[in-house]
Amino acid sequence: MRRFRTLLWLEHRRSWIWSVALLGSLAFWAWGIKQVRVWDVAERLGIRAGLLAMACAIGTVVLCLMIGRIRSETRHGQYQVLLLTPPSGYSHIAARYLYVAGVAFAYFITIGFLYWWIMALAGIHLDATTLVELVLAVPFYAISVSVLPLLAWTLLLMVFISAYRVSGPGWIPGTVMLLGTPFALRWLIDGVVRVSYSLPGWRLFANAPAALIERFGSPDPETTMQVNEILYNGVPIEPLLILLALTVALLVLAGRIWQEVEA
Amino acid sequence: MLASLVNVTKRYRTTEGVRDLTLHFPAGQIVGVLGLNGSGKSTLLKLIAGLLFPTAGEISVFGGTPRGNRARTVFLGETDTLWPWMTPADAGRFMDGLYSDFDPVRFGELLDVLEVPRRKTKAMSKGERGRLRLAMALARSAKLYLLDEPLAGIDLISREKIMMSLVREWHTDETILLSTHEVAEAEGLFERAVYLRDGGLVLDVAVEELRRDGKSVVQTFKEVLA
Repeated sequence: MRRFRTLLWLEHRRSWIWSVALLGSLAFWAWGIKQVRVWDVAERLGIRAGLLAMACAIGTVVLCLMIGRIRSETRHGQYQVLLLTPPSGYSHIAARYLYVAGVAFAYFITIGFLYWWIMALAGIHLDATTLVELVLAVPFYAISVSVLPLLAWTLLLMVFISAYRVSGPGWIPGTVMLLGTPFALRWLIDGVVRVSYSLPGWRLFANAPAALIERFGSPDPETTMQVNEILYNGVPIEPLLILLALTVALLVLAGRIWQEVEA
Repeated sequence: MLASLVNVTKRYRTTEGVRDLTLHFPAGQIVGVLGLNGSGKSTLLKLIAGLLFPTAGEISVFGGTPRGNRARTVFLGETDTLWPWMTPADAGRFMDGLYSDFDPVRFGELLDVLEVPRRKTKAMSKGERGRLRLAMALARSAKLYLLDEPLAGIDLISREKIMMSLVREWHTDETILLSTHEVAEAEGLFERAVYLRDGGLVLDVAVEELRRDGKSVVQTFKEVLA
C-alpha cells in the first residue's frame, strides 16, 4: 500500500500542473458562458450547453495527452527508473490510470454543476434528486462509457509503443493497432447496440420534465410522447458494463506489457 | 553466487550487445567492467539488472530471474534519469516509498558528504545530479550494485567525492560491478577486472594477480584492448 501511495504521489508530482490547468480551465468556460447574451432563453441555454459540450471534448483530449506522456519519459530515461522499482507493471499502470481517472471525475462532475448553473440561469429549478443525477449519475455514466475506455486504450497504446521500441519492429503492430481501432470501435458499438436493453435500463431524470414544463410550458404531444418513452426506458446498462469490463481488460494488458518492457 | 551468466548473448536488431558470456559474481567483490565504447559493458549491467532480456543463455540473480529480484539490486544507469522537478527531498521520498532497504538517514548523510545542493535537478549541474543519483543508490542496503559509468562527464572534484563514497559505503558482503572509462582513477577500487571487447569476454582476472605479474589494470587495459 505504501508503494502504491508513492506511485500515486509520483503521478501527482508529474501531472499536477496539467490537473490544475484542466480544472482551472473550467473557470474560463464559466466566464465564457456568462458572456452569451442571446435574447431568447431557449437559444441561450442551447448555446451555453453547446459550450459545455465543447469543454467536455477538449477536456477528454487533454486527459488523453496527460495519460499518454510515456514517450517523453522513455526518451529521457525516467521509464528505466520506474521499470527497476519493485512494484509490478500492474501497480504502475493502476496508479497512472487512477490518478488521471480521478482528475477526469473531478472535471466532469464540475461540468455537471455548470450544467445545473446554466439551467438555473435559464430559470429552470431542479429538485434535489434531479440535481444529484445531473452532477453525479450522468458524469459517472458518460465517463464510464467514453472517457475511461479511451484513457485505457491511450495508455495501452503508449505502453505498447514504448515497450517494443528497442527490441523489435514494434511500429508494425503499433500501426496495425492504430489503423484497426476505427474498425474495432465500429464492431464494438454495433455489438453494444445489439445487446442494449436486454437488462432493465437505468432511469434518470424522472422529475426533470416537470421543471422544464414549469419554465417553458407544455411541449407538443408528439415530443411529450418521445420524452416519456426515453424517460421510461432509461439509459441502457449494458454499455456501462461492457465498456467497464473492456477498460479493465485494456489495463491488464498494459500491465502485462509493462512487465516485459526492455530499457 | 550473487549473479551468474551462462553463455549469454544479447542480440539487437543488427548488432550483438554481448556474445556468449559466462561470468560468475560472488559476494564481496568490487569488479571493474572495462572496455572501449560499444564493448558491451552497459548491456552486461542492464542484463543483470533485468532491464534487458537475453537472446540466448541463462542469467541468475540471487538464484532467480533478474526482473524478479529488482528490489534487491541497485542499478545506476549512465543516463541522467531524474525528473526535472525532483529535489533531493522528493528523491528521498520516492526511494523511501518504493524500496524497503532505503535508509533516509544514510541518504541525508550522503547528500551532505557528496555536497548535493537542495534544489530541483533541473537547476543542478551534471555533476550534482550524478552525485544525487549516487546518494540515492548508496542509501540502499542491497547486496548487488550495478554502477554504469557513474563517473562519466563529471568534474574531477565530483569524481573524487563519488569514489570516496564508494569506498566508504562498501561492505564486505556486497558486490559492486562498476563500469568506467576512468580506469586510472578507479583502479585502486577494483579487486577484479573484466575486460570486454565487441561484446565478448577478453580477460577476467583478479587485480592481485595482475599486480603479482607487475602489471596494473590500466596497463592491461591498453595491452588487451588496444
